[in-house]
Amino acid sequence: MKRDSRFRSGLLSSLNPLGYNVERWSYALHRATGIILVGYLMAHIFETFQLGGGAGAWANTMNALHSLGPLEMVGLWIVAGSAFYHGGNGIRLILNEAFGKFMGKPILPVYPYSPTSLGRNQKVAVWTITLVVLALWVWAGAYLLEGLGVI
Amino acid sequence: MDKITLRITRSGGRKTTFVVRYRKGLTVLDALTEVREKQDSTLGYRHSCRMGICGSCGMTIEGLPRLACQTQVSSLDTETISIEPLHNMEVIKDLVTDILPFFDHHRSVKPYLIRNDVKERDHSEMEYRVLTKEVEKFLQFDYCIMCGLCYAACPTAALDPLYNGPQAIAQAYRYIADPRDEGWEKRIDLLDTSHGVWRCHMAGACSFVCPKDVDPAKAVQLARIEVLKKRILRKRGKEGSKPVPRPATAVAKEGVKAPPFDFGGARN
Repeated sequence: MKRDSRFRSGLLSSLNPLGYNVERWSYALHRATGIILVGYLMAHIFETFQLGGGAGAWANTMNALHSLGPLEMVGLWIVAGSAFYHGGNGIRLILNEAFGKFMGKPILPVYPYSPTSLGRNQKVAVWTITLVVLALWVWAGAYLLEGLGVI
Repeated sequence: MDKITLRITRSGGRKTTFVVRYRKGLTVLDALTEVREKQDSTLGYRHSCRMGICGSCGMTIEGLPRLACQTQVSSLDTETISIEPLHNMEVIKDLVTDILPFFDHHRSVKPYLIRNDVKERDHSEMEYRVLTKEVEKFLQFDYCIMCGLCYAACPTAALDPLYNGPQAIAQAYRYIADPRDEGWEKRIDLLDTSHGVWRCHMAGACSFVCPKDVDPAKAVQLARIEVLKKRILRKRGKEGSKPVPRPATAVAKEGVKAPPFDFGGARN
């Protein structure tokens, strides 16, 4: 079996859902938010690692973070949104993959074709999660703005 | 719309454009045939049946993997049609891709009935009998024409050449779900790898592009559930406690009369 990966369309293509179904968009968002969360985790580990350098090093790290101004809060807001989406969509995927929920049973295909795995139940699940995540993201934004004293 | 422009990505990535006269009912395959007959006889593309049965004319049309013979130009809603070879496969010439690695994946999951009794299998004196409700569990996945569109659309196959791919896993499940098959344990073990069912992340692109509604995404999830069940049984030390599929001969001996298969009025 060929192991040549030269002919694969690659990472950018796998993250590009243009023209595809909403579940494919959901897949791309899940990957993207996962990468953001891993990045945040790395930064967070680095940040707490500074505690080992004593109070001075910790204060310097905090000062460096606060010097970013509103960008710090925007970053946290993006991380919060990523966590909400990745978690929410992750629950849908577990239901899909481990329990077969929203997939439908095997059917006899009748034209015009409409795969049940991408059917109404799946769409409702995807959009419910999207709406809940959006609401939580707005709430997180308001919470962060409140912390900044803007509202 | 009087004319359409085909923007074809050919060997080496060069793009050439051809203008074809539009007529009602024109498919992308018709347009390509007209180009090869009247404008450029060196254009390479593969086709055979022209009616969505053979699965030979898969190509990327307007960014999506589709069968050229089943794609009406009018349905694309554009006068300039972009045509590329299928993704995730090596290009042999122009729009012709090497589908052998794809077939290798298919072959690797043992897509055939496995019977423990070789004598019965090779010199059977009675037919395998399957009930309608049993057939319904796998018939949908049996309609696969192996066109490779699902494999070209799969974002996981875009990254992992060793991934079985939606087509192969769907075919593996088709035989796992078949009550006549006795090789389900071997097949489940083949799928229970980091390049098997666990690599799928349910993007659903395979089912979205499938021209026959085989719904590979559903089959992959059902296969994953079978793998999970086997893992749980193994952990509890109950491997083998799952009832083995009934031999067809036993069903016949029971005298169960299978009703004629009901196609639900979809086919005659």
